[in-house]
Amino acid sequence: MSAVAAALAVLAALLAWPVPALLRRARWPQRDPVVALLLWQSIGLSGGLSLIGAPLVYGLTPWGASFPAAMRALLTGTGDADPGLRYLVALVLAAAIAVRLLSVLLRSTVTIARVRARQRGLLATVASPGTDPRTLLVDVADLVAFCIPGDRPMIVLSEGLVSELDEAETAAVIAHENAHLTERHHLYLLPFVAWRQALPWLPGTNLAHTAVHDLVEMHADDVAARTAGRRTLAHALARTGAAAVPRGSLAVHAGPTTTRATRLLQDPRPLPPRVRLMMLASAAALLLAPTGLLLLAGK
Amino acid sequence: MASLGELERSIMERLWSTTSALSAPELRDTLRDGELALTTIYTVLARLEDKGFVEHDESRPRRFRASASRAEHAASVMSDVLAHASDRDAVLTRFIDTVSAEEARLLRRLLRTRPEVLKPDKG
Repeated sequence: MSAVAAALAVLAALLAWPVPALLRRARWPQRDPVVALLLWQSIGLSGGLSLIGAPLVYGLTPWGASFPAAMRALLTGTGDADPGLRYLVALVLAAAIAVRLLSVLLRSTVTIARVRARQRGLLATVASPGTDPRTLLVDVADLVAFCIPGDRPMIVLSEGLVSELDEAETAAVIAHENAHLTERHHLYLLPFVAWRQALPWLPGTNLAHTAVHDLVEMHADDVAARTAGRRTLAHALARTGAAAVPRGSLAVHAGPTTTRATRLLQDPRPLPPRVRLMMLASAAALLLAPTGLLLLAGK
Repeated sequence: MASLGELERSIMERLWSTTSALSAPELRDTLRDGELALTTIYTVLARLEDKGFVEHDESRPRRFRASASRAEHAASVMSDVLAHASDRDAVLTRFIDTVSAEEARLLRRLLRTRPEVLKPDKG
């Protein structure tokens, strides 16, 4: 096996489990959700690239030890005319992974858009306009708030929530949902939703999805807290959570809602600029590693 | 001209507010001085039937009624919509996820034992 294929395989293995597990356990992402979100995006992209790149470069070995060398040999018609079966299998595997990742991403994008359109239609019929022009009110007693992103974004609050929370808390909830929409958080989540579906046997995909989901919530909390205040938002979170009807509950640890409320109250200090820079550099390096291995190595 | 969505809402408001079934011409007459075309009313009613909000009888002309009360419709739409949120599939983002009994207890304790939570941020 060429050194390049081996390096890509090692990178793919690291990004499939140990790196996501490490980042998921780390405490610093709570202090800087934006940087953590960027790091997760590059882990996802780099993981996908190396997962495709490793079998691809290995499969091209009969034509050259690296991707550029093999492509040159293929284009000029030089190189081994009769590659072994294992190389062909590797090439088919690379193609299969690439097709699977892209098609699932495309399919979830389409499915999600369709489900959203249907739900917007249903909600528009039963909801009435809220006091805030961006919101719709639905007459149910449970404390519920959510937003449906997309072309025609929609923030939905339940009557129960509006009557249970005071005005400032309701405004904080709306600010939180509005942050999801203006920051386009659904786009951060989309690739992880798709990859968890495409590669459910990779433990890292589920981990990454949960982590990104929680970070997106924390980021929306931070944006909302700027206008609504950290305590007001924490209070809205705690009251909404405390009033929630527990369902299928076996978890005995503090869930994401408690973490978010506590985090808002403690107001963690921002990451030191040095650490922040280091994390951003790691994100860039993660993206450059498989790209460099594919395009530059062994020229 | 109001959007189909707004018309759906007005027609549902009308149907929810009465116990008797109404025909399309009767509905038209109660909506905005009866200026709408009957075909428009039928289109909107067909859409509402597709969504399961409305059902009709076999009299001539057909008479329409809400298939459930306003509160029942609201509850069923909400549980339908939130069922898609439970597996975190990016269709929508909830303010908070489903909370376990233990977590709800933790949050109640947080509210009780951290009185500073109750203080407003300013003033």
